[in-house]
Amino acid sequence: MNLNVLICDDSSFARKQMARALPPEWNVEVHFAGDGVEGVSAIREGKGDVVFLDLTMPNLDGYGVLETIRRDDLPAMVIVVSGDIQPDAQERVKALGAMAFIKKPIDAGKARDVLTEYGILTGV
Amino acid sequence: MTSVPAILTEDQRDCYQEITNVAMGQAADSLARLLGAYVVLPIPRVSIIECSELNMALHEAGSDDSVSAVCQGFIGAGIAGEALLLFNDTSFASLASLMKYAGPLNHQAELELLMDTASVLIGACVQGLGDQLEIHFNQSHPVVLGQHCQTDDILRSGNQAWQRTLAIEIHYTIEHMNIDCELLLLFTEESVKTLNKKIDFLLD
Repeated sequence: MNLNVLICDDSSFARKQMARALPPEWNVEVHFAGDGVEGVSAIREGKGDVVFLDLTMPNLDGYGVLETIRRDDLPAMVIVVSGDIQPDAQERVKALGAMAFIKKPIDAGKARDVLTEYGILTGV
Repeated sequence: MTSVPAILTEDQRDCYQEITNVAMGQAADSLARLLGAYVVLPIPRVSIIECSELNMALHEAGSDDSVSAVCQGFIGAGIAGEALLLFNDTSFASLASLMKYAGPLNHQAELELLMDTASVLIGACVQGLGDQLEIHFNQSHPVVLGQHCQTDDILRSGNQAWQRTLAIEIHYTIEHMNIDCELLLLFTEESVKTLNKKIDFLLD
């Protein structure tokens, strides 16, 4: 079964940029969510084995999504993709269980590096 | 010749918002390093507004109190705009303590704090936008529009030649501190056409 990848960002432009940055040979199902509430539902439906998560979003922000994942012990590996590059923001998301942090604007090289570093891209 | 009024499609508005998100993040990072504090990032607002609506936008942002303001023009690749930074005057005591400013917090001290913060926030934000759009913006010298004024007075001193403008509003606050400022990026209507072309290129 293919890995399910969820891209959670309130900007359709950012979701498209993120989808384009995924390694082309990576055989995954890509799903999209437009805010944190949609993101959490998608994760509960099993659509987020790997989640690319924005932080600044309406309804439920990225911090809220991370808290929910941790509280409800949802199975998701989260990579935060954000324009908030303050060192504090990176520490906070790591403390909340995010696996990695990639700063925006995203590009294919950064995405590949992180996926390789955490062994998600092996076996391709 | 009748000019076509500037409008934004939803995709364009979304794209402006996203590149602003990245630019304001870079600006927040610079400010966070200067102050040694965490800057809370809002969702920026992007809209085409009549200049007469600016006042309303600012009041909505909660700048009903007395404010101090700086503006700084920027220009490049056929695009001209102004950055306007409004500080709630209650912010200065906290700013002074974060910046370890010794001495009395008088008019002159507030002016220095205002100019230091403005140069960091405006500079980083305008450069962040320019980087993503591949435009090099030249910035003019910052000008103080007023200290301890009402927003109405600030806007009256602004450029009245513009009718409609692309407005990007970013409301920065500092976590656990009483620091509150509003950064407005305003582009001339003529610039919006050129900017939209750049945006469409990103959207392609």
